[in-house]
Amino acid sequence: MSAVEDKAPGGKRHWWLAPSFVIGVVLATLVVAAALLSYVWTPYQPTQMMILNRLKGPSAANWFGTDQFGRDVFSMIMVGARNSLAVGLGAVGIGMVAGTTLGLVASVRRDGILDHIIMRTADFTHAFPAVLTAIMMTAIAGPGMLNAIVAIAVLNLPYFARLARGAALQVWAQDFIQAARAAGLNNRQITLRHVLPNIAGILVVQATIQFALAVLAEAGLSYLGLGTQPPNPSWGRMLNEAQTFMAAQPWLAIFPGAAIALTVLGFNLLGDGLRDAVDPRLRRAR
Amino acid sequence: MIGYILRRLVALGLTLFAAALVIFVVLEILPGDPAAVTLGLNAAPEALAALRAEMGLDKPAALRFFLWLGGLVTGDLGQSYTYRVPVLQLITERMAVTLPLALMAIALATAIGIPLGMLAASRHGRLADAGVMAFAQAGLAIPNFWFGLLLVLVFAVGLGWLPAGGFPGWQAGIGVSLKALLMPALALALPQAAIIARVTRSSMLDTLQEDFVRTARAKGLSESTTMRRHALRNALIPVVTILGLQFSVLIAGAIIIENVFALPGLGRLVFQAIAQHDLIVVKDLVMLFAGLAILINFAVELLYGLIDPRLRQS
Repeated sequence: MSAVEDKAPGGKRHWWLAPSFVIGVVLATLVVAAALLSYVWTPYQPTQMMILNRLKGPSAANWFGTDQFGRDVFSMIMVGARNSLAVGLGAVGIGMVAGTTLGLVASVRRDGILDHIIMRTADFTHAFPAVLTAIMMTAIAGPGMLNAIVAIAVLNLPYFARLARGAALQVWAQDFIQAARAAGLNNRQITLRHVLPNIAGILVVQATIQFALAVLAEAGLSYLGLGTQPPNPSWGRMLNEAQTFMAAQPWLAIFPGAAIALTVLGFNLLGDGLRDAVDPRLRRAR
Repeated sequence: MIGYILRRLVALGLTLFAAALVIFVVLEILPGDPAAVTLGLNAAPEALAALRAEMGLDKPAALRFFLWLGGLVTGDLGQSYTYRVPVLQLITERMAVTLPLALMAIALATAIGIPLGMLAASRHGRLADAGVMAFAQAGLAIPNFWFGLLLVLVFAVGLGWLPAGGFPGWQAGIGVSLKALLMPALALALPQAAIIARVTRSSMLDTLQEDFVRTARAKGLSESTTMRRHALRNALIPVVTILGLQFSVLIAGAIIIENVFALPGLGRLVFQAIAQHDLIVVKDLVMLFAGLAILINFAVELLYGLIDPRLRQS
């Protein structure tokens, strides 16, 4: 998709005009807007059951039809967006803050024992996909949204630790760090004032891509019943419930799935576009 | 080389040990009383005492941990509380579904991903390239369990060609069993195929710039022979690595997909074990999944070290 390169009159490429990036911005904005709008308005109460109106197809009254309890699917998808984004934000936020901190510490203590311990621990968490962590947490504490957030955060941590360490090491090698040191700044001050601001761009790009993955993981966990719990609507669980009725009412399985796929696609394209902006050299490789 | 292998082996041992420790702490220490978790709030005191003795909870935690580790090595994984059979037996039975499912998914993902990646690289910047990249984006965005449901809608509900779920068992015949695994494997393969297509494409694009490819072309080899014999072979190294690293993703996917298609595999077993609070089974299965991912990563690193001597130094 990124093969498309738009050139401005002067021959300079405008990365933000790439169609894939524009699609990403539009999709991501739509999802965020739907989630925010759901706080003040939804066509119906998403938990309101109207049994007489159950399993109706899409119509002017119910745009995406109704489910087995007569709940409005469109309203549920709007509120579901809120939950997906909340889990994604929480999980990526925790993963990013904790991972970046560890990565920065590791970069200061390069090749020291602490560096090795931090990086080996980061490698090790690879063996625990979100679903395994969530399974362990559910086994001892019962299912819930918090499990999903923690499980996905654990998955995110090593990405940020590795990325922050690698990028920070490059910054540490720059001349201005020597200057800062000569000016009497200690490691912590240099990290906060010089290293972190210089790697923030890459971290934000990675966060966008990890966010897309987090939405996907949350959907999987709530499909299994390990994430967001009823009566809170979630896209994954809507798909699980749809499975029983989908032979007769296929739209029940189509709309929530499409919502997940378009959200993930939107944030992936957004992240790819931002990455092109931060590091134009990567453009050809993808 | 031997030094490199030994260092990797030590790291492997430590990683497996750490994984076991984490799993043990989370599933046996954190809950306080695992027997109470298994039996629930209203358990009779006698039943609790009996289960505590059965689970060896009267012994100190450190001793229990090393007994469990010893069991993992010797294959004595304890007895499932719900099924009343040895956990090892449960795992072997269920493995007969999960292993073929995973292998089929890897085969399908490779069979779809590599040709698509080659096509995109050979038509770089053209319509076919954009098409493959669009497929890759879609494959990464579509949740595999939703793709599974869509496959059921089309091929089971709509056309009636394939069963919507369930597994007849290998004794019912290889044909029907493979037929039952086809849609789940395809659903599991989709994101992997997308990743493989992307990696093959970018790896091929790099390789096609190499001198030996120019030489192959210069000595008059046809474009397809150059691609197959020279470019692809070299471009496959990163693809193999990705296949290995994606293994834990495949395991996570299998847990969900087995539940979508009601397949009696390990993924469904671990899920049923949670519902039944069968912590013994949960603990062994989580260790099995994590251990497999660690072992495959180890194998990939070792292979990589064999291929690229520079990596042995670090």
